[in-house]
Parts: sequence; structure tokens; C-alpha cells
Amino acid sequence: MPFCVQKCRYCAFLSFEAEGSPRKEYTDALEKEIKLRADREKENGTDRPVDTIYIGGGTPSVMDISSMSEMVKTLKRSFDVVPDAEVTLEANPATLGRKDGVMLAKLQAYRFMGINRLSMGVQSMDNDRLHYLGRIHTAENVTRDMDIIRRKGFDNVNLDLMFSIPGESGDDALRDLDKILALGPEHISCYSLQIEEGTPFGEMADSGELIEVSDEEDRETYHRICRRLAEAGYEHYEISNFAKMGVDPDAPSPYRSQHNSLYWNMDEYIGLGLGASGFLNGVRYKNTSDLDEYLSALKEGRLPVAEEHLNTAFDNISEAVFTGLRRREGIRYEDAVRAYLDTDDLQLKYPVSAEEFRDLFWDIFDEAEEEARSYAERGLLIIDSEGLKLTETGIDISNSIMSLFV
Amino acid sequence: MSYLDNIRNFSIIAHIDHGKSTLADRLIEKTGLVEARDMKEQYLDNMDIERERGITIKLQTTRLQYKAKDGQEYILNLIDTPGHVDFNYEVSRSLAACDGAVLVVDATQGVEAQTLGNVYLALDEDLEILPVLNKMDLDSARPEDARAEIEDIIGLDASEAPEISAKTGMGIDEMLEKLIEVIPPPQGDPDGKLKALIFDSYYDSYKGVIIYTRIFDGRVRRGDTIRMMNTGKNYEVTEVGYCIPGTVPASELKAGEVGYICGSIKQVADARVGDTITLANDPADAPLKGYKKAQSMVYCGIFPAEGEKYENVKDALEKLQVNDAAFNFEPENSAALGYGYRCGFLGLLHMDVITERLAREFDLDVITTLPSVVYKVVMKDGEVLDIQNPSNLPAPALIAHIEEPIVKADIMTPNEYVGSIMTLCQNRRGNMIHMEYLTKTRVQLHYEMPLNEVIYDFFDALKSRTRGYASLDYEFLRYQQAKLVKLDILLNREPIDALSTIVPEEEAMAKGRGICEKLKEIIPRHQFEVPIQAAIGQKIIARETVRAYRKDVLAKCYGGDITRKKKLLEKQKAGKKRMRQFGSVTVPQEAFTEVLKLDDGR
Repeated sequence: MPFCVQKCRYCAFLSFEAEGSPRKEYTDALEKEIKLRADREKENGTDRPVDTIYIGGGTPSVMDISSMSEMVKTLKRSFDVVPDAEVTLEANPATLGRKDGVMLAKLQAYRFMGINRLSMGVQSMDNDRLHYLGRIHTAENVTRDMDIIRRKGFDNVNLDLMFSIPGESGDDALRDLDKILALGPEHISCYSLQIEEGTPFGEMADSGELIEVSDEEDRETYHRICRRLAEAGYEHYEISNFAKMGVDPDAPSPYRSQHNSLYWNMDEYIGLGLGASGFLNGVRYKNTSDLDEYLSALKEGRLPVAEEHLNTAFDNISEAVFTGLRRREGIRYEDAVRAYLDTDDLQLKYPVSAEEFRDLFWDIFDEAEEEARSYAERGLLIIDSEGLKLTETGIDISNSIMSLFV
Repeated sequence: MSYLDNIRNFSIIAHIDHGKSTLADRLIEKTGLVEARDMKEQYLDNMDIERERGITIKLQTTRLQYKAKDGQEYILNLIDTPGHVDFNYEVSRSLAACDGAVLVVDATQGVEAQTLGNVYLALDEDLEILPVLNKMDLDSARPEDARAEIEDIIGLDASEAPEISAKTGMGIDEMLEKLIEVIPPPQGDPDGKLKALIFDSYYDSYKGVIIYTRIFDGRVRRGDTIRMMNTGKNYEVTEVGYCIPGTVPASELKAGEVGYICGSIKQVADARVGDTITLANDPADAPLKGYKKAQSMVYCGIFPAEGEKYENVKDALEKLQVNDAAFNFEPENSAALGYGYRCGFLGLLHMDVITERLAREFDLDVITTLPSVVYKVVMKDGEVLDIQNPSNLPAPALIAHIEEPIVKADIMTPNEYVGSIMTLCQNRRGNMIHMEYLTKTRVQLHYEMPLNEVIYDFFDALKSRTRGYASLDYEFLRYQQAKLVKLDILLNREPIDALSTIVPEEEAMAKGRGICEKLKEIIPRHQFEVPIQAAIGQKIIARETVRAYRKDVLAKCYGGDITRKKKLLEKQKAGKKRMRQFGSVTVPQEAFTEVLKLDDGR
């Protein structure tokens, strides 16, 4: 849903200001895409049950309730959505309605559609910083929204927190975090601000008007946040994601984002909408990012796919490793090697023992092994008999480690 | 009337960019020997690198036929000359093969340093010079100013200089008529003892070395046994002919003519430019004057980059040498870079050409170390060593003194840049000999400078200070005693031999600091601190630190766009391939050549 009330100053994602945009045409086209995609899967005999739905943006909550409702209905009619599917809606603070009554009714409608998880782009609890970022909401909006969301019975809520905002100290970030913790969300995503080219912040950084927080401070803040969240009973299960522990402290948190976990597990997913990415039947594809092209493709009854790539065996294992390393539990040789061996065109014998999986893994990544071991010696990577995982300090330079495996 | 009267042997001389090659193209086109569809732009510049830089390095020679207004058919042998200071000797030999020269002056620019340098070379060979004003199709052409400059600066009568546009073909016929009138026909005795000048040669995989030659006396045919008078080697002639262009066999070549000779010669070093060919069984008394062995002025190390095979580099260097007598190499072993080669070049451009050809034609990944000149190291026991590799410099205690090569540098510039050029030259230890106003607005500065100061980035610095208007010509002058020391660079406390340089003692501190700062920019952050130190002997004179890398992480996952993330990681990996590992420190390969480019606009 590539529409927002206004574009934030750091945002490089695909989104348009909602006012004056062809939202109605867009949702009509999206419904067509859903049907086309579902039909094709059925024709190919590759249709499968859908476990998760993620409605992201832009800001999906700026869409008309009626369009949203139609779209979700179309999804459910077209695909075999399992009854207890995780259905997430990204909803920005201050977009759910000004009046309590409106908001309650909107939330009721979402529940009615089957949405059972909300993800809120809070980013900061400091009004000056929110203003600086170009957000449209205030800290007070967040508190009120959260209150109403809870009253409406949503019991799986994620809040996004951004740190390393220019001018922000580590202490400031921790204060923000404490305010977010006070709201008691089931899930928290913590990101450091990335200055992207082509955004107002990007230009300000080029001109020297914006001074980025130093890497050292950024990493220090990150680790303080990790510690604080651990104390507060959150499981750090992915580089940027934290989920509240359930009753069993040894079991994985029941509040992990099931949908995002797909990306890190090499599971397949269907991407729908402008600029959306998917991974289906071994093919990575990406829809066009051109709104006119998107609308006209669907008008003509074509899928709006702009890029397609049939993954090779090496693509699969490589992606399994670098996406899997984002998870704190890391990757298992066996899973990575299976991603390799399960590639259609490959006719190799499966290993049977853990050792064989390990050896095959390192055969495939022969060139990377020496350097990987040097990372391990420096305490950045853990290499054991089952697989690999990053240490908390290893996360800081995770790209360097991941790039060994591409 | 002799056949000689209908031959003209000439060169075109010009400053870089003044349109020499374009004019050659136009002449070839005009005289109909190359079909228009075969005309690559600038036919004579046949190497890609030359084409890209718009300069001629390797000579090509062409026989043109022209029917003049007097009704006679003339053979015009166009002998092209390289247009860069590194190749002065080659230029002089090409000119020696001629009886006259066409001097091309850009009517929008006027006379430049190399114009003058080349004119002097032509005068030294006693050539008649026909000045020609080119680029007359441009609005900015100022022919009267250019004429005045030719007369004031060079001293040639330019009142009748043809006005042409090599680009559009304007004035070419008039120029050819004038050429026949001004440039004298060759002289020589076709029945005398063979004396033929080698003015170029190149290697052909079918015919062996193809020698370009001008016959001064006598004649040569297939089956003759020829002797190279300076190297003393004998070969049997397998083919002679004319360059039309390309090679077209003929029954013989005789006095006054220009053509080629093949004789199953294995490498160009056996048919050196400047050598005289005679017949083995009936030799001439003495060779033609002017033979010189090519002298390498600049050296650098060439090492296989990470993942590149030593043998591949060796093969490529050997293949290049077959075709380039001025290029030489020998094995070298560096503690930092492993096995490689120490290579000698005529100058910096020659070095650039060779290293670019390694990358382009042979698809090799090599590391080029800092260029160095040849120092004469006078030892306390009286022995004199030629040292071009800083690593081989003996311990200071054993050295009496060191001498470095000094060049004569002539810089021509519009007068408004004189101040900044003087500052630049002063910073490069230049010693001004004198300065003259060639015209009201054009100045020539004569400097004596250490070659060491010229080879780094002097030319770039000169161009950037003068918005490209200044031009440079230099030649070796003498060796001169200087206070020089070896500056070592240590990374993570380990000396990196490939980064050592020889520098003047008084500048060691500033240079060391500059190099450390530069390396700090170039070397990526590691997971640990990397100290960079500059040292003379045991004494550390400068230090910088590359701070430890703290962050290389992407927080976002781009809504399932794994491909985007993958592209970022692939890019990161590709960047790393261009790196070299020293112990635990990773250094980008360009560090070895970039590090001394210290020009900061001072």
C-alpha cells in the first residue's frame, strides 16, 4: 500500500502522498493482481495454504476501510488462508482516526477482517525528534492509540523504534525505549536510522547540514538497547527484532513475527502490490515500481512483474546463509544444504549424517572458510558442529561476514 | 629525370591534440588508398589506448599516391611520429627517415611546448618544414595570431602556410601542392652499398618482426642476407614491400624509398629503431648516425594481484616486449607482494600504456607499485650502484652519497599562470634556469628538476593549475648529488616493502605525513586499530591510525526484497577482491599507486 499522509524525511521506500493519489484505481488493480496470481498458482497446481498475511506500506491504515475490507476478502476468497493465520497491518500512529469513536470502529473493522497483529511506526517518543524526522504524530498520539488498540483487544502489537537520529544521544534513545516499554508491546523492532541517497536527509548529509551519529555511538546504543530489552523480558531473535517471552522462558517467544521469519527461513511468499517482492516456486520476482505501469499492466490483465530470477542452487544456499544469519539462532548446515540440494535441477545424493552436511556446506563455501574461521577466532561468529551464528558483536559487522557467502 | 624526383618522404609534427592524426586520416582518404568504409577514425593510431587518449605512440607509415596539378604522379611516404615526450628518440629516428616535415599548428591554440620540441628535433635532422594552420573550420580559429607565433617563436616564414581543416578536408589539396613544392625529393644512390634506417618495427605472428625502413643508398630484395650494423646480427630477407598501409610485397626497395623488410626476426629488440641495415656480403663502411639504445627512465614493480597467476603475467610481459624494444623487465621478489617483475619504461606515459594493455589486452589483474627513477649510489668503497628499487638501497652507513637524475623541463604557458607554475616547480625542487616571453601572452619557463619529482603527478598538477593550458616537454640532463633517504611505511608495525620510496631528506617528514594521511583515507576500517607509520631507518617520523570498524550492518530487510540485500552484499564482496592482504591488514590495490599522488593544489 504505497500511500502515506506525508513522506518522512529519511524514507527511501516507495510511497506517495495519499491525498490526490489514485487510491481507488490502485486497490482495484491490486484485487485483480490477487486474483491473477491465485489463478495462476491453481493452474500450475502449485497453490498452497497461506499461513501469514502482511499488509505493509507506505501506510496501509490511510486506506479506506471499505477498500481494505474488499481487498482482504479477495485474498481470503482467492487463497487458502488457514484459520489461525497471522494477519499483520502496518498502522502509523495518528492515522487510525481523530475521534475515539471512529478509531474504535475502525479497529473493530480490522478485527472483523481477521487482522490480529498491528505494527506501529512509533520511531521516537520525543516530539522534537518526531518533528525532525517528518513524522505526523506526537508521543501523546502513540499513548492514546495504544490505549484504544488494547481496549479493542489487539494482543499482538509491534512498535518500531528508531535510534541514531542526528542530535540524539544514547541516553535519549534509551529514554525512548523505556517509554515504549511502558506501553507493553509484545514485539519491538529497533533500527538505526540509515541515511539514504535521494531523500531530504541524504541531501542534508551531503551538504553537511546533517551530521550522522558516529558508528561507535550507534553501536554502543544498539548494545545498550539489546541489554535493556533482555532485562525487560524480550527475546532478541533477529538482528533488529525483539519479542516478549511467553510463559516458558526456554521456548521461543510466541510473539515472534511469523511473517518476517519467512524471509529468514528461505520460505516462499507471494508479494502483491506496487514494488512488492516475492519468492515463489524457486523464483525471486519483483513487481514494477512504476505506478502507471502497474495500473496499466493489470488493466490489460498482465501480472505487473518487472524482474524475475530463477534461483540456482548456489543462490538458494547463499540466501539461506545470509538471511539465516540475521536470526540469533543462526543457520544449521543441514537447512542451508537442503536449500541447495532441493533446487530442482540438482540431482545429488542427500547426506545422511550431521558431519556430511557440515562437510558439504564447507565444500560449497570452500573459499569463505578461512576467513569465516578468522571471524570466529575474533569472537564475531560461532562455528559449531551444527551450524553458524553471529555473536552480538558479530552483528555489528554482519554484512562483512554475510558477504563471504554470496 | 630520376625516379627520386617523384618521391617525398615526410612526417607530420604537432603538439598533442593539434590534429596530426586527423590530418593523416584525411590524406589517406584523399589519396584513395583506404576505402572510406575501412576508415576507422584516425587510421594511424591503431592501438585502443592511443585512440582513447588521442595520442600516437606506435608509429605507422603509409605510402600515398598523389597526382599533382603539374600532371605528375607522386609517391608521398607519410611517416607518422609518436606525439609524447617519452618517445623523443623514436620521433627523432622517424624524422631522420624524412626529408621534410609538415608542422601542424592548431589555429585556435597556437604554438605549444611540444610543437617547439618537435620542430627542434626536425631541424636537427635538417628537414624542410612546411607550417600548416589546422582547425580553420572552428570559429575560434585565429590564423593571424598563429602565423605570428610561428614566425616569432619558431622563426619559420608562415605567410604562405596553408589554412586547412583536417576534420572537414578543407585546404588539403592546396597543402599537398605546397608540400611537393617545399619538401625536397630524397637523394641517394640506388647502386651504392645498402644503407637503410630502421625507424620502426613491430611483431607480426606470421611474418616475424616487420621492419619499417628508409633506404638511403643501395637496394634490398628477397633472399638477400642483411646485417644490423649496430647489433651485428644477420638475417635472410623473406619479403620486402610498401606500406599502403598494411604490407604489400614488392620486388625490391631502393634508395630514397620507404617500405618494410621481413626476415624471420623473433623480437623487435633484434631490429632496434635507429639501427642501420646493410648487406652482409657487401656491407657499407659505417652505419647512419644517431643510433641509441633505449634507456629506461622510470621503473616500477608489476605483481600479480590476488588470485592472478604469476605465469600469466610473465607470458603477457614477454608478449609485450616482443613488440616494444624500449620495455624491459626482470623478476623481482617483494616481501609484501610476492613474486613479480621490475619493469623499465621510457617514461610515465609508456608505463601507463603498458599497464593498461596488461589489463585490457591480456585481461590481467596486476598491482603496480610506485614508480621510481634510477639512482646512482656511490658507496664508501668507491663502487657505484644503479638502484631503481628502494628495497635494494644499501644501509646508509655504507653509502658515500646518492645521485639522482635531473631533467630539463620546458613549460610553455599563457602568462597568467606563471605564478602558480613557479610555486609548483619550487615545491618539486625545480630550479628555474630562465624564463622568456615568446609573445606578449605566452611564456616559456626552463627548469631543471629531479626526474623523481616529475614522474609522480607533476603533469596532472600542471594541467590542473593552468586549466589545461600549460604544456610540458622534458629530457634527461645529468645525474646530480642529492641528500636522499629511504622512507619506509609500516602497517600494523610491519614494514611494507612495496610502499618504500626514496625521498629528499628535507622533505621526508612532510612526505611521510602525507603518505600516512593518504593511506588512512585509502585503507578501509578493520575490526581492530591499524597504525600507519612512516619511518627512516628505525625512527618513526609520522603516524596515523585507521580506527577500528564498528559498524557494517543493515537494519532493514526491505520488505522481503532479498535480491536487493544480496546485490549489496555482492557489491561488498567484489570490492574486497580488489584488496590485498598483509598479515591481518587489508589494503586496496590502488594504494600502491595512489599513495604518492599528494598534490593537493598547493
